[in-house]
Amino acid sequence: MALYAALIGTSILMIGPFYWAIATSFKPSGDVFASPPKFIPNPWTLANYREVFTLLPFGRYLLNSVIVTGAIVGLNVIFDTAAAYAFAKLRFPGRNVLFFLLLITLMIPFQVNLIPLYRIMVGLHDLSPHLGIDTYSALILPGAIQVFGIFLMRQFLASIPDDILESARVDGASEFSILARIVFPIALPGMATLAIFTFLGAWNDFLWPLLVINTDSMRTLPVGLALLARRNTVNWGDTMAGTTLTAGPMIIVFLFLQRRFIEGLTAGSVKG
Amino acid sequence: MKRSMLRGFALAGVLVLTAAACTGGGGDGDEGNGPVTITVLDYYGEATPFSKDVIDRFEADHPDIKVKYEAGDWDTMHEKFTVRVSGGDSPDVATMDMTWIPTFASKQIFADLSDLSGGQLNGSAIEDHYQPGAIEAMTFDGHYVTMMFDFDAYGLYYRADQFEAKGIDVPTTWDEFRDAAKKLAEDTDGDGVCDKYCFEVYGNDCFHWCQLLFQAGGSILNEDNTAAAFNSPAGLKSLEFYKSFIDDGSGIYWGDAQGEPIRGIKDERLGMFLDGPYYMGLLKSGAPDLKGKWAVAPPPVDVEPGSYLGGTGLSIPVNAPHPDQAWTFIQYMLEQQQQVGVFTLAGAAPATTAALQSPELTKPDPYFGGEAPFGVFKDSMATATHFPYVEQWDPIDTDIGNMVQSVMLGKATPQEALDTYEAKVNEELAG
Amino acid sequence: MLPAYVLIAPAILSAIVFLYVPIAYSGFWSFTEYSGLGTAKWVGLANYRDLLADEDFLKALWNTVLFVLIGMGIGPVLGFLSALLLNQAVRFRAFFRAAYFLPVMTSLVVVASIWKVLLNDQGIINQIFSLFQLPTRTWLDDTTTALPAVAVTSIWQGFGFETVVFLAALQAIPRDYYDAAKVDGASYWQQVRHITLPSLRPTIMFVYIIGIIGSFQVFDQIFVMTSGGPINSTRTLVFDLFERFNQLELGQASAVAYFLLVILASLSYIQIFLFERGRR
Repeated sequence: MALYAALIGTSILMIGPFYWAIATSFKPSGDVFASPPKFIPNPWTLANYREVFTLLPFGRYLLNSVIVTGAIVGLNVIFDTAAAYAFAKLRFPGRNVLFFLLLITLMIPFQVNLIPLYRIMVGLHDLSPHLGIDTYSALILPGAIQVFGIFLMRQFLASIPDDILESARVDGASEFSILARIVFPIALPGMATLAIFTFLGAWNDFLWPLLVINTDSMRTLPVGLALLARRNTVNWGDTMAGTTLTAGPMIIVFLFLQRRFIEGLTAGSVKG
Repeated sequence: MKRSMLRGFALAGVLVLTAAACTGGGGDGDEGNGPVTITVLDYYGEATPFSKDVIDRFEADHPDIKVKYEAGDWDTMHEKFTVRVSGGDSPDVATMDMTWIPTFASKQIFADLSDLSGGQLNGSAIEDHYQPGAIEAMTFDGHYVTMMFDFDAYGLYYRADQFEAKGIDVPTTWDEFRDAAKKLAEDTDGDGVCDKYCFEVYGNDCFHWCQLLFQAGGSILNEDNTAAAFNSPAGLKSLEFYKSFIDDGSGIYWGDAQGEPIRGIKDERLGMFLDGPYYMGLLKSGAPDLKGKWAVAPPPVDVEPGSYLGGTGLSIPVNAPHPDQAWTFIQYMLEQQQQVGVFTLAGAAPATTAALQSPELTKPDPYFGGEAPFGVFKDSMATATHFPYVEQWDPIDTDIGNMVQSVMLGKATPQEALDTYEAKVNEELAG
Repeated sequence: MLPAYVLIAPAILSAIVFLYVPIAYSGFWSFTEYSGLGTAKWVGLANYRDLLADEDFLKALWNTVLFVLIGMGIGPVLGFLSALLLNQAVRFRAFFRAAYFLPVMTSLVVVASIWKVLLNDQGIINQIFSLFQLPTRTWLDDTTTALPAVAVTSIWQGFGFETVVFLAALQAIPRDYYDAAKVDGASYWQQVRHITLPSLRPTIMFVYIIGIIGSFQVFDQIFVMTSGGPINSTRTLVFDLFERFNQLELGQASAVAYFLLVILASLSYIQIFLFERGRR
């Protein structure tokens, strides 16, 4: 019994702040720090949400996040799996060396790449106003193919029996059509896990979008929210509305795909 | 099958590259064909002198120039502006806090306005439009890097209704100041910490404490800006004086995490504070229900009247896409009507001499009980001292802010803090 | 053979352009003075020497180490304990697990924003504390409490990850080990000490390596909650890098990045080495 008491207690500690954020987002600005605290907003108002969409382009931020994350997930799922298939199932000279060279980049903290990547984006922008700084390309391209994804998929694809592939080759199919028609369908669960991981990383990415986007209309949700929260707002209710909007999609996705996500996460770590 | 896939890839690649190359050449507003669009970036927030009306009128007067207005904020601009310029993504016109000018200018990010303007502003010499102090502030390395747009000097904002109710006289000396604060403040829950109508002790920059330093007869750096001069009897006295408000229980330390002071004004935790003219506008938009309760008086004096002189300037980045049109826009914003608009729209003080004399500025203001506080700021400006124009001003400003914070938070005694930070500032100046 | 190369070409190209080239440039720039406007000027080891003498950088280093110590000292322990709890729970396990994991899913910016409101002077935490006669502070405005406050926020956000990982590992331990121990009369905590923990070695190492690498890179929460203050008391390595970047000191910023790289690489090797040694 004490067990469940402890579990319930800690669960309240974990969920509490989220509840508080949502509740506060519906409070009029005077009530945010009401004493004694109001656990249920009374009166409640949609003013904060309205402000967040009118004073700041939160709708735009949301759209940007959706487009960028969608593109990154899509590109990763396709290209990571394609490369993983080659590394897992095809024989070619340099296979192991190339894979190793990719793998070691995982050891490097991404902050080492930050500034040169930024300058690359500056250079691209000089080339064309549609590329580089302040464009979707800067947000999408660096993360479009991730080594971790290739690694993940390679583990997954390694277990596909070779004979299926052999017989398809014997029948005259090209590697590309094998990939598209045989491998992708079998790899769907793995690709789903990859999609979830990539979605999480891309949706919540912060430092890079902060650096590379100057125009407010191109910002993503986390950056828009951070600037709002940091701006020492007069009305914290707005900030809480922002957090609800930013965390909302992620939480909904999570609640539906919990198991798959956690399975994917723990698969690699337990074996050690 | 393989062959055709390969060809497919190759074709796609070529198409993408061609598309990228084609879109690269265009750019916006080619010379001579159609209107040029300039980007104007400011940090005023909601109450901005760059209102839609102002911009529309400009576009009507200049059919060959379109204005794309971008609303930035002070923090982000302070942090990211130089990065933006170095990244080639410059606006054409940007508002600059005068305290950023020496540091930013030393990074070579501003266009030479002396060159661009040929020395003329709206038909007469630039020097004709400004007071000598402003001219000095706008200059770096022998040329103009910014045109001063609004100015900032401090006045004492106080709750006039509370003063009347509690029988407090408007303080004119430091002693009276402390007394007034004590009488004004209320400790509603008896924990020794002020809860209502407190005096705002703001520790995050040089502005707020430095004015006290000046009032005590001190200065920040020495004559030729080579060493710190604030570790002096005047420095100690002013630092102790500032701290005394907290010790007395009549002041409240307002830190970053508390948010904007306007919050404290709204919920009446603050009853007295020293700040610039733009707060007039902030009060009206942020605390409209306190109309008629606030008033402004000259800051109390110790040895001599003293205030910090700051403000906003308009600058053109060195790699701005359309510097000539940018200069046209800046001239427009310095015309009398727009300068008076700085006051009527943003509640701030215009910088040009002509605008400072406009009767608009001294009309009775219902928010301030029918008074016209503007005169207070104008007088303050006359006795204000500007910050030292050194390259390292930005980091030194931060250091001094940290020094004040460390004392107000009780992390160091005033003398200790003065010693520590004198060393830091000297290091900054040497390095 | 050719199809293989076509399939890996995008990945290889991407790695070259977005990983290898930047890593090389970063290293090069760390030996230069470069503002982004104009050209890079070679200065040799000057940046590295200057950083080691720079108070701000040293403070950043110290703060980061402190942050990692607090986070990795408490986080995995909480994760382990809660995994033990969850392992015992038969009903609603998925619900509780979801509760622990929820903060892990949410962006650090979201978590930081929420906690900034909770930790406000007039926020609910102070309100609850004063109810229980506990000291209330200006958590994020005080040099002594700011870093711990950010650390607590980060622990709250992250320990669910450890919970989930440990839980999966716990469930992989064969029941008979425990049954045998119970027959021998071992108490619950003795079982934990002699069976659970040893079996969890690889998982513990995994958790610590990942955790330390992640903690060293802390940035998002700092940006939102304290901007490195008050008075640099929450300035971390990556935030220091960010500041130098903003001041157009790209050479110095690159040197900071390489410091981070060296630190993380060394720590990872040390941990793996210790683990291998301990295995005998």
